[in-house]
Amino acid sequence: MHGQCGLFFRTYAGEAQLFPSRFQKIALALFFAALCLAPWAMNKYLVSILCLINISVIGAVSLNLLTGSCGQISLGHGAFFGVGAYTAAYLANLGLPFVLALPGAGLVTALTGMVFGLPSLRLKGIYLAIATLAAQLILEYVFLHWDAVTGGSGGMALDAPSIAGFAFDTDLKMFYLTLGVAVLCVLAVSNVMRTRLGRAFVAIRDYHLSAEIVGVDLFAYKLRAFGLSSFLAGVGGALWASYTMYITPEQFGIGLSVSYLAMIIIGGLGSVIGGVFGAVFITILPECLNFLAQHAGAAFTDLSGALLAMKEGVFGLVLVLFLIFEPEGLANRWRLVKAYWKLYPFAH
Amino acid sequence: MKRMAQLLALAWTLTLAGPALAQETVNIGLLSDLSGPTSAVGVPYSEGVKDAAKYLNENGGIAGKPINLIEVDYAYNAQQALAAYKRFTSQDKIVALQGWGTQDTEALTKFVGKDQIPTLSASYSAHLTDPAKAPYNFFVAADYSTQIRGALKYFKANWKESRPPKVAFVYPDHPYGLVPIPAAKEYAKELGFEIVGDETVALNAMDAMAQMLRLQKLAPDYVWIGGTTPSAAVIMKDAQKLGFKTTFFCNIWGVDESLFKLAGDAANGAYSLQTAVVYGQKVPGMAVIEKMTGGAPKMTHYIRGFASMLVMAEGLKKAAAKGPLTGPAIKDALETLRDYDPMGLTPPISFFPNDHRPNMAVIIYKVEGGKMVETATETLERKPEWLGK
Repeated sequence: MHGQCGLFFRTYAGEAQLFPSRFQKIALALFFAALCLAPWAMNKYLVSILCLINISVIGAVSLNLLTGSCGQISLGHGAFFGVGAYTAAYLANLGLPFVLALPGAGLVTALTGMVFGLPSLRLKGIYLAIATLAAQLILEYVFLHWDAVTGGSGGMALDAPSIAGFAFDTDLKMFYLTLGVAVLCVLAVSNVMRTRLGRAFVAIRDYHLSAEIVGVDLFAYKLRAFGLSSFLAGVGGALWASYTMYITPEQFGIGLSVSYLAMIIIGGLGSVIGGVFGAVFITILPECLNFLAQHAGAAFTDLSGALLAMKEGVFGLVLVLFLIFEPEGLANRWRLVKAYWKLYPFAH
Repeated sequence: MKRMAQLLALAWTLTLAGPALAQETVNIGLLSDLSGPTSAVGVPYSEGVKDAAKYLNENGGIAGKPINLIEVDYAYNAQQALAAYKRFTSQDKIVALQGWGTQDTEALTKFVGKDQIPTLSASYSAHLTDPAKAPYNFFVAADYSTQIRGALKYFKANWKESRPPKVAFVYPDHPYGLVPIPAAKEYAKELGFEIVGDETVALNAMDAMAQMLRLQKLAPDYVWIGGTTPSAAVIMKDAQKLGFKTTFFCNIWGVDESLFKLAGDAANGAYSLQTAVVYGQKVPGMAVIEKMTGGAPKMTHYIRGFASMLVMAEGLKKAAAKGPLTGPAIKDALETLRDYDPMGLTPPISFFPNDHRPNMAVIIYKVEGGKMVETATETLERKPEWLGK
């Protein structure tokens, strides 16, 4: 009997599978089972971190689709996230059920994103970055001044979401909701990347002229990238609003956009799993620093103070170190680790 | 593997140690901005809170139990504030929270209401004083709107000329800057001020020349500055360069001891609206603070932090005298405070079940020769129609 060693694809469809090996499927199933059970063994704090990670995953994966896969830099993702949050809050306050408010938020954000994606036809790189920065500033202005809809400077409150009478009013319930939506979003983006649409995005990113020559309508596809990415950002924002139940314009500032960019750079541009890694990393980083500062403080009082003061600096330092030593992000490291174990113990 | 086991054992001990401590101390969460954009004022404020807790612990704590302040630096980021809050409530079992700015206080409003965690913060937006909307939120300073109203009343009372006084408003296009403007304009009109103009100057502005030029043409007698010290300094310096003579009055975060360095003599003659005394004033609490700080001057934000902890402790003591320390018990205790005097550091504090405005008093200081000189304390009527606005 001769078993197969390694992966042998006999069809293109086989090669394009999301999870080509049985080992991968089993590992993923076990991981999800563990993830779903984990909150039961955790306290509220750790569960809330998981919720924040789930929400960040949606934001990071959606930005990675636009910037990493299609090459359209966006500095306005924080504001798009805000559009989703405000739309969800507004629709929820109108009495619309959460199952409709969530996609509604996505749709409104998709439209907004497409409007601000219009300049992408003529602008590239740094110029597009400035155009999306303008989107960030304009949207922040709208959040602050459209009192009738956004509540202006006073912010906006909404109730915990409920689906068919079941209220997601604890961290544990919110965890399953956010996890469910995050998984759907990640699957959606993974699948988009396997279709003509995804390949067109990559073609545009790699070289716009070649893409056009092989028949990709640049404008239409760029707009689709903006629309799709903003839709997901809007869904993420809607979840954030439902989770915190109180939103103010300050929450969706340029800082949020920058932190999403940091997530995809650290995670790995253009890779779906990279967005996930980046979101996990950036969400956990400040918590780890706080933990260190607190527990180091017991032994070395001075160190604790210094660590606290350095926190924002550490964030920047981590980013720089990643750019120098791991420019392809955590996703690349993950590939290398997998390759190492595949060859183990016969690595050369 | 062995190291992993050791780490796990350590983590386990830490988790076990948490609840054991909770029984012997009164755990209070302290959200501070020590490294974020508001850290310049966040650091002294948190020092004030911590020193007050130290002072209280040296004097018997809360019904014999010491206060255990658990501080988290959230870098003025709502997401980090949320995570810190969850840690406070699940691991640290806090009974009350000392919050900080608008971003964290508002992001947590619903949570503290649901989890019944009384919160004292340094975000003085009027809408947090309405218990119908924010039942567990408190603060120890007159809200931003009340502060401006007090100043307008003071200026009107001291207005000598027969024509109506002219007032203009300069503020950042930012939630913090915009919040009190409608209330201020309404009251200015009611008092008979002529509102001549509005200008926006960003919190991080380097220049306000264009705005000052426009205002100079409108010749307001009074100009409200609703920013923080860096932008207030820019405004005052540019006005001085243009020879624009007017009376500036600034809100609570717009004038503090750092303004004298930033603006120099351009700040002379400006009025500062405060809700606590400044360092060195002769009140009983100042003797305590001077002893604790060894005579090193502290900013006015430090003193408000100190007062905020004193007021919270008063609520805790009252609640502890009645029974176990729970969120609702502390809230109820705080709502019974009537003219509580935090050792003279702020005007007397009262909270009511349907009205969380601590008082209606604003202390007006005039900047003279690099010092804040107390000019007057203006106390307004506690009008129900002003609640939350």
